[in-house]
Parts: sequence; structure tokens; C-alpha cells
Amino acid sequence: MSLSLFSIAFIGVIGLLGIGFYGLMICRNLIKIVIALQILVKAALLGLIAAGNLNGQINLSQSMALTVIVADTIVAVMGIALGVQIRRRIGTLDVHELSSLKG
Amino acid sequence: MLSILTILIIGIPWIGAMCIWLLGDRHPRVLHALATAFALLAAIATLSVIPFSTSQPVVLIAMGGILGDFTLIPDGLAIFIAAIATVVGSAAVIFAIDYMGQAKQLARFYALILFFIGAMAGLALSGSLLFTFFFWEITALCSYALISFHNDDPRAVAGGIKALIMTQLGGVGLLGGALLVYSYFGNYQISSLLTHYQNLPPVVLGLMGFGFLVAAAAKSAQVPFHSWLPDAMEAPTPVTALIHAATMVNAGVYLLARFYPAFKSISGWSIAVMTIGVLSALLAGLMALAANDIKRVLAYSTISQLGYMFYAVGTGAIFASQFHLFSHAIFKALLFLSAGAVITALGTRDLGQMGGLGKRMPFLQVMFVIGALGLMGLPIANGFFSKELILESGLETGPLVFYLIMLFSAGVTALYTVRLLYLIFWGESRGRTQPTHDGLPAMRVSLIVLAFGTLTTWLLAGGFSQLLASTLPFHHLEAGPTSTMVKQICLAPTTWIALGVIALGCATWLVRTRFTTLAEAFKPMLEAGFGFDALNRQIVQGVKRTAAFVQIAQTGQLNWNVAGIVTGLVVILLVVLRGA
Repeated sequence: MSLSLFSIAFIGVIGLLGIGFYGLMICRNLIKIVIALQILVKAALLGLIAAGNLNGQINLSQSMALTVIVADTIVAVMGIALGVQIRRRIGTLDVHELSSLKG
Repeated sequence: MLSILTILIIGIPWIGAMCIWLLGDRHPRVLHALATAFALLAAIATLSVIPFSTSQPVVLIAMGGILGDFTLIPDGLAIFIAAIATVVGSAAVIFAIDYMGQAKQLARFYALILFFIGAMAGLALSGSLLFTFFFWEITALCSYALISFHNDDPRAVAGGIKALIMTQLGGVGLLGGALLVYSYFGNYQISSLLTHYQNLPPVVLGLMGFGFLVAAAAKSAQVPFHSWLPDAMEAPTPVTALIHAATMVNAGVYLLARFYPAFKSISGWSIAVMTIGVLSALLAGLMALAANDIKRVLAYSTISQLGYMFYAVGTGAIFASQFHLFSHAIFKALLFLSAGAVITALGTRDLGQMGGLGKRMPFLQVMFVIGALGLMGLPIANGFFSKELILESGLETGPLVFYLIMLFSAGVTALYTVRLLYLIFWGESRGRTQPTHDGLPAMRVSLIVLAFGTLTTWLLAGGFSQLLASTLPFHHLEAGPTSTMVKQICLAPTTWIALGVIALGCATWLVRTRFTTLAEAFKPMLEAGFGFDALNRQIVQGVKRTAAFVQIAQTGQLNWNVAGIVTGLVVILLVVLRGA
């Protein structure tokens, strides 16, 4: 059985999405959550490139992917920076303990 | 030139609002002068556009994309609403010089009033439904901010929020209508709806018609949305006179009149409009009989008079409804401003502490009586002619039972107006405080202007009707000179019947002691506002309970939220897959 390039990319996207969402649902540690978020975004990146390849607009999708990488890096940096501050001020990284904003 | 003038009608008050906002509260005298100057300039700009009214857009700015074209059309209907907004606005601003005096946060007050005047003119002039909606919401926002102007008073804040929520409910109907127009015609222009409404599916047109009716009823404080208006009386009196008597509450009537040619073919729409009008006129009139706050009585009478206008639109008498709107704006602004002068002189709004003030306040008494003549619909005052026109067309085209109720409401109007006059100016003095003045100078200026208007604006009836007939291509209005109209009104038997009922209403006050038991029996029901307030409270409680129940889902835990997002994604994917 031979798989097309697109099928492989599609399986990759679904797999990464699954891992990312699973991580977000299961993890309580803020750092791990940031990592899961990164995996989720990588799925989106792969999806973008695959979609661009499929309809022949690879240039557009590559530039989009570059934009996503920049935005995603900022998200990661902010998330980790928040994590550091939370660890310093509250003394824990467990998101279940962080309920001071609960409505 | 015309396009610049038309833009200035909106632009002058808004520029004024910005200047005043930037200037801050440091110089009250400068603020008074600036606000008056900008309001008067806007009024002059509006009045100078009237001779050039046209049904064609004079301003057309392509906003691009989904916003469509921004158009301003100064046709007869629009320019009269704009004129009322700017002229009564000027009177209210002049009155406020004495009323607000050295009050705190004067800049906020004047900026919001000028912002409102511009938005109200824009609401009427805009030829694009989307921008009408934007201006509509700006007026609601200004109304909210001005009702809650004394924001350290919990009742003022509550009244403001109530008004905001109720008028927003209606705004949804207007936005929905605008989007439907866009989805069928590709633009928001009111004229394209009025030209091509036959192409719309009947269900869509019906949805729009009743959506607009809800919007209009909420804005114009009609049953069952009326209860925000009495609570809005916490606003400073010039605001009440301008927004909650003369202009914003008329926006609903204006909307219905504007779209009447498109909606009249919807089955049940005219009857629905008439029913809302009749119920509002009757119930609000009865509630005014029991109110003990001078401003609340006037608020109920506003609801009742707006009911007359709704009824007129329902019977197809567009001119009569707009003419009554015009008359009502003037005499009700006069009544509210006179009441405001009485309130500042006494320091109370409670009718139980007034009485016998006529001797000490002869000037305000005369002003109030002139306003009351308009409200009751007695000859010489403008309210007489407009109300008779409404009753006449109601008898001709509406169901007889509605006509009889409206006739009865006219009697009730006379009764509560006489009661109000008696409790303030006549009878025995019940108050402990002496009035401090009989109308301060600036107050007197604006009161005299409005009183003059109340006694003379019916002379404009002919010109107004010709203006409407020539600039509203979709409405098919009959026009005639004032003399024919006056003759027609004076010779119609309905006029004499109505005058008889009004006289009967006044006479009922003289023999009121015979009705004591009846009044006592009805008093609890009237004071409870026929249960509408309780209904409102129950709806609010229901929403709160639902919110508390749904709050279970709000765990504040990231894992649960992500699980919710994923579930939502899966559900949407399944729906899309099924659909495909």
C-alpha cells in the first residue's frame, strides 16, 4: 500500500491535533500546557502547507506558515513568561489551583 | 452647498460635543455659551435645508465592502425630525443654562446632549438602513448615559440600564431588518426596499415588518415595553424634555411611518400597530391618573400620545401621525421644561407637596396651561388639530371599537391633565417650602419660544403636508393648504364629539368626589402599572436564574474548557459532514 504525500500529511495533522488536544485536556502543569499548545499549532502549520501544496499555491501557504510561526513563538514566550511569574507569585504551576479569576 | 449644509446638521453638534468634552469642566460659563451656540447653529443649518428638501441623496459616500453607501436624504419626513431635534434641542440647552447652573461635570452633560442631537438628526437623514441603525444605537447610548447622569444615585443608574436594555432589544429587530435588506438587494438603501419590496418572499417581509414593529415599540416606549420611560425620569429635566418627550421616543413612530408603504401589505401588521397604539394610549393614560410624581405623570402622557401616533400609522394616516409627532414634541417639551422650572423652584417632584402655586408662579402657570391645552387637544393649540386629524382618519379607516377607545383616552388625557394642573397650581397649598423663583431668565426664554410654537405651529400644517407629499415618492399623501385643513377639521362631526369627550373628561375632575370608591378600587392596579413592572422583574429573575444555572459549566479550569472546545469542534464537523 502506497500512501500519497497528502495522505501522509493529513494523518500527521490529525495525529498532531489529537496529541495537542489530549495534552490540553489532561495536563495540569502550565509548562506542559504550553508544549501541548505548540504541538497543536504545528498541526495547523502542517495543514497549511499541505493545503497549499494541494491547490498549487505553495508560495501563499509558505508565507502564511511563516506568519503563524512568528505569532506562535510569541504565544509560547508569553505563556512561559506567565508561567514563571505565576510560579514566583503563587508558588505553583498547577492550573487547577489557579482559580482566582473564576466567575 | 446643500450637501455641505446637510452634513453640517450632524457635524455641528458633534464638533461641539468634541470641543466641550476637550474643554473640560473648568469654565461653566464658557460651556453654557458654547453649547448654546453649537445647538443654535445646528438649528439654523437644519431650518435652512428645509426649503431644499428632496427625495434624492445629497450626500453619497461609498464606505466600501459590507458597509455599503452612506447616504443622507433630506426629504420632508427626515428634515422635520432633524428640525425638531435641533430646535427643541436648542430650547433644552438654553433651559439647561439655568437648570444645570454650576452643576458638576457640566462638560459631560453638554457633550452628551450635543452628541445626541447630531445622532438624532443623522438617524432621520440617513438613507442607509445600516447607518440608521448605527445612529439609532448612538441615541440609545446617549439616552442611557444622560438618564444615569447623576451616577451616584442608584435609581438613576437602574433607570438608565433598564432603558438601555429595553431599547437594545428593539435594536436587534432593526439590525436584522438591515441585514435582510442587504442579503436580498445587495445594499442597505431604504429606497431600494421601498421600491422592490414586492420581490421579497412574504415570510421575509413579514419578519422585517414585525421586527421593525418591536424595534419601534421598544424605542417609543409602547406596551409592553413602556415601563422604561417612567423610570427614565431620573434624568435632568432638559434631557427628559429633549430625549424622552420630543425626539428619541419619536424614532419608533418615524421608523414605522418611513416603512409604511412596504409593510402595509403584510397581513395583520396594520392591526398590530393599531392595537399597540390603542393599548398604550389607554393604559398609560390610566396610569397617569394615579402617578404622584410630576415627571412620571408627563412620562405616562408621552407614552399615551405616542400611542396616538402608532394608531395613526396603523390607520394609514402618515401625515396625521407625523403632524401629531411635531405638535407633541413642542407642547410636551414645554410641559416638561415648565415642570423642570417648578421642580427647581420647589426642590421636589412630589405632587403631594405642591398645590396653590399659581399665585406665586403666574408665569409658569401660564406656560403650563398652554402646554396642557396642546396635550388635551383643545383649540388654538397645535395638539388640537393633529389629534383631530388622527381621530378622523381612525373613524374612517380603523375599526370602530379602536376609535371609541381612542376617544375615551382623549377624555382620560383631559382628566389627568386637569388633575396635574390642579395639584400643582390650584387648590390648597400642601407644601412646606416656598418657591424660590417663577422661572429664571434663560428658562423663560426657552419656555416662551416653545409656548409660541405650541400656539402657532398648526399654521404650518399645509406647508408640512405639501412638503411631505412632494418629497416622499412612495407614500401617496394628500396635501392641501392650511385653510382647507382647518375648515375640514372644524366641520367634521368627530371634532365636536372629541371636544365633548374632552370637556366631559375635564368635568369629571370637578365631580371627582363621587368617584372616590371607584378610584380607590382601581388605585392599586394603576400604581402597579397593570403588572407590567412585575412581569419585567420576573423576566429579569428568570434570566438571572438561567445564568446561575449555566454557570456550572464555567469551571474556570483549562482542561474542561479545552474538552468543551474539542466537543464543539467534533459536533460542528459532524454537522458539516452530514450536510455535505
